[in-house]
Amino acid sequence: MNKGKFIKNLTIVLTFIFLYAPIIVLVVYSFNKSRMNVVFTGFTFDWYKTLFHNTDLLEAFRNTLIIAGVSTVTSTIIGTISAIGLYKYNFPFKKIVNGLIYIPIVIPEIVLGISLLSVYTIANLQLGMLSLIISHIAFSIPFVITSVRSTLNLLPKEYEEAAYDLGASRFNVFTKVTLPLIMPGVISGATLALTLSMDDVVISYFTAGPGSNTLPLQIYSIIKTGITPDVNALSTLLLVATIIILTTSAIYQSRKIARRGY
Amino acid sequence: MKKYKLLIIFVCLLLLTGCTSNKNKQVVNVLNWSSYIPDEVIKDFEKETGIKVNYGTYSSNEELLAKLSSSKDGTYDVVFPSDYMVELMINKNMLQKLDISRLSTYKNIDKVFLKQSYDKTNSYSLPFLLATSVIAYNRENVNDIYDYKDLVREDYKNDIVLLDDERITIGAFLQALGYDINDYNDEHLEEAYEFYSSLKDNIKAFDSDSPKSFLMTNETNIGVLWNAEAILAKDHNPNIVIVYPRSGYALSMDNYVITKGSTNVDNAYKFIDYLLRDEVCQKIIDDYPYISTNKNTSNYSDEELKEILNNGSYIKNVGENIKRFDRLWAKMK
Amino acid sequence: MNKKSSLEKYLFTIPVIVYSLLLILLPILYVLLISFFKSDSYGGMIYTFTLSNYAEIFNITYIKIFLKSIGIALITTTICLFIAYPFAISLMSKKETTRNLLIKLVMVPFLTNSLIRTYGWIVLLRKNGIINSGLLGLGLIHDPLSLMYNNLGIIIGMVYTLLPFMILPVYSAVSKVDRNLIEASYDLGASKIKTFTKVYLPLTISGAFNGSLMVFIPAIGYFFITDILGGGKIMIIGNLIKNQFLTARNWPFGAAISIFLIIMTLLLVRVYKGLGGKMDDLGGGM
Repeated sequence: MNKGKFIKNLTIVLTFIFLYAPIIVLVVYSFNKSRMNVVFTGFTFDWYKTLFHNTDLLEAFRNTLIIAGVSTVTSTIIGTISAIGLYKYNFPFKKIVNGLIYIPIVIPEIVLGISLLSVYTIANLQLGMLSLIISHIAFSIPFVITSVRSTLNLLPKEYEEAAYDLGASRFNVFTKVTLPLIMPGVISGATLALTLSMDDVVISYFTAGPGSNTLPLQIYSIIKTGITPDVNALSTLLLVATIIILTTSAIYQSRKIARRGY
Repeated sequence: MKKYKLLIIFVCLLLLTGCTSNKNKQVVNVLNWSSYIPDEVIKDFEKETGIKVNYGTYSSNEELLAKLSSSKDGTYDVVFPSDYMVELMINKNMLQKLDISRLSTYKNIDKVFLKQSYDKTNSYSLPFLLATSVIAYNRENVNDIYDYKDLVREDYKNDIVLLDDERITIGAFLQALGYDINDYNDEHLEEAYEFYSSLKDNIKAFDSDSPKSFLMTNETNIGVLWNAEAILAKDHNPNIVIVYPRSGYALSMDNYVITKGSTNVDNAYKFIDYLLRDEVCQKIIDDYPYISTNKNTSNYSDEELKEILNNGSYIKNVGENIKRFDRLWAKMK
Repeated sequence: MNKKSSLEKYLFTIPVIVYSLLLILLPILYVLLISFFKSDSYGGMIYTFTLSNYAEIFNITYIKIFLKSIGIALITTTICLFIAYPFAISLMSKKETTRNLLIKLVMVPFLTNSLIRTYGWIVLLRKNGIINSGLLGLGLIHDPLSLMYNNLGIIIGMVYTLLPFMILPVYSAVSKVDRNLIEASYDLGASKIKTFTKVYLPLTISGAFNGSLMVFIPAIGYFFITDILGGGKIMIIGNLIKNQFLTARNWPFGAAISIFLIIMTLLLVRVYKGLGGKMDDLGGGM
């Protein structure tokens, strides 16, 4: 192996060590007998058992799934409609709307969090699941819009025109032609919204109320009051789930590519 | 497209389970200090009464006030403010009067703790647990410590954890200099900042949530922390010594109160009544060894209690002058 | 335009208008409004106009926090750039399928909870943590190093949490650079450094700025990293805002700082656009 190639491989390996070190530590310590996370005293599965009795953690996980599910679906639908609307039509103040939708992407999350909290306070909205879902929808929509719009920009107009020429109804053109063509953008927008929602700490921190603890918030308070390895166990399970989803989607994609013959 | 439909069905199912399980369920919304009541106590209460406890935590009185005032009335039912915060909440008309006749366990409270200056008639609050700040150190690795001044030594570099609470920690600096814990004279506060500067290199962290962990994992050898945290650290490592600082320390009496807009008043009373039971109080101080106000479960003799109460000071509401503490705190960080 | 298509137009444009007014403009205008109010000592607001909250920002105590915060964010951004470029360029020596796989692997850790990952660093960095015990065991050091509860810990945490936001846009920019240009540069005798500064950098500058923006801005606000890895000793703008809203009970001042941050952010975005960056590329790199 020549020197240049060696340095390149070393760079890649070192970067991956940096990225994976804390994750590996968590996985390893989830099997540790001692609860202090300091010395490895022996192998055990106990933390996985205690995890399933930790109702607070499980409830927080359920809340996270509900919030992420509802906000992802809603923001994907609104975001997709909005992207098409902004792409196709002119309307008054379009420039302002166009500028506004970037604000949640660029301003610090904490500013968005406190702004939403302030509005909920004047609107007298009880903080809880609903306020969290609205907040998550609010910060996800712009990511869906930008993602869908970047596929729309690449879309040749001829497809839709051809469909109209062939006598398809407006509805059919939309569902049979436009939507399938922009689907990759929609899906990547939805994935982004899901990831952001599942992991959000800052905005949830300000807009959560009683009975709406999310997993990140629960973990935040656990970390502050002394972590136990059942949190490690939960993150290990989540990590494994993520890897399974990613590999199956990778296999699915490569099969699709193979079928299409390129 | 099929994947999409599946996702939507999945979400609808989740929503359904989410909605149905919360309907018609008796609840009580509790906001409490972090590390304060063992989970087991909450679970037992839920099992016995069938009332679901929505439990949230805060780590300072100010955070509690902010959470209460930024949320709709009635969002929380039972909260646990300390002395000066009780007074402030009464003044802000945030609490409702307590009906002692609804608490069968009221008789368990030791009279010593009743009728304190912040709520002289106990119309709005009942004492729950008393916390005091203390110094704890590992005698294996550091010399004997009697007071805050003993913490200023070159060889204690990065070896101290302090409470992440501006009033308590700045208050300790003021006490170290011989001033009152509630002093807000600008010159005295400036002196307190100078004291902090001499101590700065020795401070490893500010932490209110679990300072005991620092002592238990040997991350630091010294801590200025709440008594219960210190006792837990000592249980873990017998070499830890706990002292009440000679120049004074903070007292913090946490109280049961019911918020004005509470929508689950009956359940709130049931919850408080439950927490005042002897065996429940015992369970709480077994896990979090603060000073219980329950006369049947106290770990301290009357003389000891009297001495602790005499030598410590309550934090008082300083009104507009809180901004002086805020700014000094920001300057320290 | 016929009736049907105008209906369609409303259907497609009203949601975005309602959304942007109700959930973006209104909240920010409200924050702007309260930044001009006075606060009372009980955490309430007195509805009289004042500029004192903005004047307060220029108090030396807060200026110091701003500078420290910007300093930490700049160092974080620089380190991310120094990791992302070599990584992206090294990746280009791999086959496309390998590259795609490796980029996916970059993302995997970031699909787990960011707090848990930050916690993993505590286990590694603390006084008797894995790194210190390892180094002590090997006899490389005699006293444990202070790796966390200081600026170093915060920067490690920030770099780690925000790195993918740099790697993805930088990689996507680097992968679009025409390989022939690089080879031509070497053929003409340019050194590696020269090739990087004269060929790679100019061609990928908007990707680099995109990444820098997406690293720099959150780094100013991520209070949970300073809380966990800084030991509550170091305050950045995020902690300051959080304190104003949650502990100091001074909403107007917190609002004024927020408005200040928004203005700063929008100026940075302007620079990005000036460099030829596209708004739709921001944050969409995942």
